[in-house]
Amino acid sequence: MRKVVPRSLISVLSGLIIILFSCVQGSCFDETESYLKASLYSNSFSKVVAPDSLSLYGLNRDSIIYNKTAEVTLALIPLNDTAQTSTFVIKIDGITDTIEFRYSSYPHLISKECGYTYYHHLDSDPIFTKHIISEVIIDNATVTNLKIENITIKY
Amino acid sequence: MRTLRLNISLIGILVLTVFQVHAQDTIPIPLKIKIGIDVLGPATYYSDKNVLNTEAYISVDLDESKAVMVSVGSSNYKFSQYNYSYMSSGNFIRFGMDFNLLKPDKSQGKYWFGLGLRYGLSSFNSEVPFFEKTGYWGTITSSIPSRKKLAQFVEISPGVRTEIFKNFSMGWSIGMRLLVSSGSSKDVRPIYLPGFGNASKVITAGLNYFLVWNIPFKTKNVIMKKPAPEEPEDNTEGNKENTGTTDGSIIRQ
Repeated sequence: MRKVVPRSLISVLSGLIIILFSCVQGSCFDETESYLKASLYSNSFSKVVAPDSLSLYGLNRDSIIYNKTAEVTLALIPLNDTAQTSTFVIKIDGITDTIEFRYSSYPHLISKECGYTYYHHLDSDPIFTKHIISEVIIDNATVTNLKIENITIKY
Repeated sequence: MRTLRLNISLIGILVLTVFQVHAQDTIPIPLKIKIGIDVLGPATYYSDKNVLNTEAYISVDLDESKAVMVSVGSSNYKFSQYNYSYMSSGNFIRFGMDFNLLKPDKSQGKYWFGLGLRYGLSSFNSEVPFFEKTGYWGTITSSIPSRKKLAQFVEISPGVRTEIFKNFSMGWSIGMRLLVSSGSSKDVRPIYLPGFGNASKVITAGLNYFLVWNIPFKTKNVIMKKPAPEEPEDNTEGNKENTGTTDGSIIRQ
C-alpha cells in the first residue's frame, strides 16, 4: 500500500499530542507569600554579612518572624496585605531599630493550582530609626513571590 | 515545403499532447459547504458540570485540498478550590484555512486528514468571587469583580473526517493553541478562556468531535498524473557489460 501521510508528520503530531495532553495534576509548588527581601549589608566588612543574631517582628504583633537567628543574609519580611504601611521591630546584634514600609498592594494570580496572592509596590523610601541601621536602599520596588532582592539594609 | 514541415511538426506536438492527456486520470471531486457541530463539549458537561463548551463551524471548499472556515461558540467555566473560586463566560470566533493532506485519489471528496490553521478571538467576562490568603498578618478574604475582556490566540488543529453516509461526516480535531494576548494585566490574567481553554498556560490543547453536514455545490475534475512506468531491468550478461548509444559508441558501466 502506498504511503498516504508522511511518517515524519505522524510522529511529530503524535508527539505534540502526548506533550499537550500530559498534565501534572493540581498541586501547588510555588511560593505563595510575597516577602519583601532585605539583604543585610555590614558597613564594617563592606559587604553582605549575616549579623550574629537577627530578631524581627511586626509592631504590636506577638508572632516573631526571626528570633535571635544567625546566618541570615537575606531577611524575608511579610508586608500586611490589607494595610498601606507595615512597621517592624528589627534587632541586629542586640541593638533595636524600627522600620516602616509604605506601599500599595494588588492581587496576583500565581497559578491555577496555587491561586492568588498579593504583590506590593514600595511607594516611598522606608522610614527607620538609626540605632544600628545607617541606611536603607530600595533595589527593586516591586515585591513579588519571586526570589528578587528588594532592599539593602546597611548596619 | 517549409510550411509542410511546420504543419507536420504541429500535428506531431498535438498527437503527443493527446497521448499525454490519455496518460492521466481525471477524478471528479465534489466541492462542499460543510456545517459541523461539536458534540464533545456538551457530552463532557455531563461528567463535569463546571465546563460547558458549545461550538459550530462552517467551511467552504476552495479546491480539492483547501477550505476556508469560521467557527463560533460559547463557554461557561467554573472552578473552585480551598483558597479561591473563579468564573468565566463568553463567546469566541475562530477563522482560518483547512488543508487536506490526502491526495484526491485517496480522499475522493469523502475523507479528510489534515491540518487547520486558525486565528481566534475570545470575548469573555472573568471574575474571582472569592479568594483567601493566610500569612503572618492573619487570614484575609477578598474578591476581584467581573470584567469584560478580549483575548487572541492562534491554533493548529490536525484532525480526521470520514463520510459515514451520503453528505454526512464525523471526525475529530485536536486544537493546539498558542495564547497571543489574554486581554488582561499579567497579575490578574484569566484562568480559562472561551475557545482557548486553560489560560494559565501559554500553550494548551483541546479536543473536538464534530458531526458534519456536507452540501456539494460544484464538482471539480482533478487530473492525477500516473506515475512514470519503471524501466524494466535488463539482466542479460552482454547488456550488463556494455550499453549501446545512438551514435554507436559504447558506455562501459
